[in-house]
Amino acid sequence: MSDWEPKIASFLCNWCSYGAADLAGVGRMEYPPNIRVIRIPCTGRMSPKFFLAALTQGADGVWVSG
Amino acid sequence: MLGYIDKIREISKRLLDEGRVDMIIGFRKGTILMMNEPCFVKNSGELSTLVWDSNCGINLANYLTDRKEKIGIVAKGCDSRNIVTHIIENKIKREKLVIIGVPCKGMLDKRKVAGMFENGIDDIREDDNVVRVKSRGVETSLNKSDVLQENCALCIHRNPVIYDELAGPLVEEKKDVDRYADVRRIEAMTAQEKWEYFKDLISPCIRCYACRNACPLCYCPTCFVDESRPQWCGKSQDEIDTRTFHFLRAYHCAGRCTDCGACERACPVGIKVRQFTSKLNKDCLDMFGWEAGVSPDERPPLDTFKPGDPGDFIK
Amino acid sequence: MGVEPGRLSFSWISSAESTKFVNVVKDVTATVKALGPNNNFKKAAKVA
Repeated sequence: MSDWEPKIASFLCNWCSYGAADLAGVGRMEYPPNIRVIRIPCTGRMSPKFFLAALTQGADGVWVSG
Repeated sequence: MLGYIDKIREISKRLLDEGRVDMIIGFRKGTILMMNEPCFVKNSGELSTLVWDSNCGINLANYLTDRKEKIGIVAKGCDSRNIVTHIIENKIKREKLVIIGVPCKGMLDKRKVAGMFENGIDDIREDDNVVRVKSRGVETSLNKSDVLQENCALCIHRNPVIYDELAGPLVEEKKDVDRYADVRRIEAMTAQEKWEYFKDLISPCIRCYACRNACPLCYCPTCFVDESRPQWCGKSQDEIDTRTFHFLRAYHCAGRCTDCGACERACPVGIKVRQFTSKLNKDCLDMFGWEAGVSPDERPPLDTFKPGDPGDFIK
Repeated sequence: MGVEPGRLSFSWISSAESTKFVNVVKDVTATVKALGPNNNFKKAAKVA
């Protein structure tokens, strides 16, 4: 079981966190590959629907960043 | 509480005759015992059908959404708070309403009473604090306070918060009521225990959506369960889908639920639907000091941002 | 509700804070990994 990797659905807001992710990519920074990024225009778009839907579809965790 | 019906009929007659309202929304006797139905009276000759007793548990604010007529509505404490929520959410205009406020001492839990009489109930009558049940010729007297709906036993808003007319004297509000003892008990469980607890709670659910239909807050033209692209929630009685439905509906009612008990009352299989929403109500009270529907002038906390809003869960 | 608290996290990260982004990713991944796979909430696999 130790080779199980979690799938984390990450809701990143377009203007801030997605930009940070982009910058991390440009700077060739290393980080774990477990996050599956979903770009949202703003965390105002976030809704409990997304969290529950992510879990039912198989995500192991959810991360929301604004 | 029983004498109120004369005053309700008198006020309704006056409102209809003077043309101040096009329609009165109130209760009339249902077809079976302990079930009163909502009724819409447009003509003052039909006012004798209106009733008021301890079986008027339905939340009449459910019938107000997006109506254009002038309406006189019979509203108990919890109903009036839902009317305030509707006004805040722009689903009804205050000027269109004449609210006939009815101070309420609590509604009977029909399942609890029926459960006490395994031979069925032939007749049921009530006085102010006593309920007399006739079963197979034997009459039993019950204390009304022992057979109230759960949310009524914990109610601290028995008087309507907003009204144009009052059908009876204001009643004393209960003090020192521990409204969230149930919630605290669940909060103390571990994640696994909570999972099992909710699994048992919703296992009888048949996805009839009676709770959603009875709820005054559930007025979305397309409910999230009906959305197919994307489909958030399947339609079958799959455990996970049922769980998603109940949790998500509770979250959509967060900060707006007045604990009227209509959902629990409507459930055909007797699920304690309020267990989903009470935790969220407690959280709103703790985090924002907010109780739904108390004042028509304040914006709800999920609508507004104040610098003092709790944010310590954010990294 | 039965979902472990560690599964959901929130953060504020500005566009320029890429190092913070990397740190938070590592943090969140470690937390979720420690909790184990999500077996409870997953819908049964669709039968073709």
